[in-house]
Amino acid sequence: MFDDRFEQILRPYLPFLPPQEELTPGSDLKDLGLDSLGTVQLLGTLEEDYQVRFRDSALTMDTFRTAGVLWDTVQSMLHPAAS
Amino acid sequence: MAHDTALVFPGMGPVPFAEVGRFMVADPIARDLVAVADEALGYSLVDAFRTSPGDYSEAAQVAFFVNCLACAHWARDHLGVEPDIVAGPSFGEKAALAYTGALELPDAVRLTAEIARCLEEYFAGEHKDIVTLSFVRAPRDGLDAILADLDEAGEWHEISCHIDDGFYMISLPEHRVQWTQERLRAIGSLPLYTMRPPMHASAFRPLREKAEREVVSRYSFADPALPVVADQDGRLLRTGEELRTMLLDGFDHPMNWPSVTTALKDAGARRLCVAGPDSLFGRVPCATRNFDVVAAHPRLAMTPRRRSRAA
Repeated sequence: MFDDRFEQILRPYLPFLPPQEELTPGSDLKDLGLDSLGTVQLLGTLEEDYQVRFRDSALTMDTFRTAGVLWDTVQSMLHPAAS
Repeated sequence: MAHDTALVFPGMGPVPFAEVGRFMVADPIARDLVAVADEALGYSLVDAFRTSPGDYSEAAQVAFFVNCLACAHWARDHLGVEPDIVAGPSFGEKAALAYTGALELPDAVRLTAEIARCLEEYFAGEHKDIVTLSFVRAPRDGLDAILADLDEAGEWHEISCHIDDGFYMISLPEHRVQWTQERLRAIGSLPLYTMRPPMHASAFRPLREKAEREVVSRYSFADPALPVVADQDGRLLRTGEELRTMLLDGFDHPMNWPSVTTALKDAGARRLCVAGPDSLFGRVPCATRNFDVVAAHPRLAMTPRRRSRAA
């Protein structure tokens, strides 16, 4: 699963996810209301908060398909040796 | 003279029927405008929109136009938005023409439908391989290097829209999209999506001529009741003839949203009401950093509102 900080960052970009509903790795972010401009804003927020820089293969809309894929991408940038 | 409140009709993006259908039949203003549109079109706009395939069908385009106008009137009635100046980037030009009285509503409905048909006919036979690719956070020098490489490879391309710092749409052959996306990612840019039909490029001059000959020449454009900012370069337009030219320029000139927001700010606008199902123009930094943005979206109009204490 992901850490609390990740979920706190993500939730404001998901207007169709009720506060009481669980965010799971399989949660489809587009279905939960993440649109193109929301994706751009979320990208900037993640980079600033985690002090990482998305580049190359991470810079696709597929990276933002599910919460799990996005979390794995952030983790791979934070811990490159483990990925 | 200061123009405190600006009204913006957004460019068109995909809007599913499910997102706005209820607004079109339940909101009293939208319902009245839909009735005018039905009469002008000779068919039921709601039925056609519900059953037409594709994001940019004729009915989808007229529905977007009608919903933008309805949202502007809703914002006047419910949010007190009385604009002093108007802008309509890209597709939003058509709603700006109708709102300012440059065209009567039935004429603006017919013009919107006829231009949609004209586009479909033209791109069915021309530029079949051209798409418009959008992307964000592309530093200008990095982008210029990519465009120079396309030049060197002899590949036609043009910037069709400048949306914000680092946020562009370029028209190019579809077989170059993947290559361009990879190059963009390498400079830290995020490619968003590709659109067809493409738009706003000098290569589409024949489309402009076709639209002028077959559609636009049949309409008379009155002087607008409010000044309109040209979406190509931020010029302040005050005559029907200037608005007609803006509409035609939209086919073969790039759209430049920062030039519009700069012009609105220079004109004294502090509040920016974006009327319609916008997912872009009222949300980018050149809008949010410069104005108090009011998003008059059909979703907001359909949200139950608490009665004021005075009521």
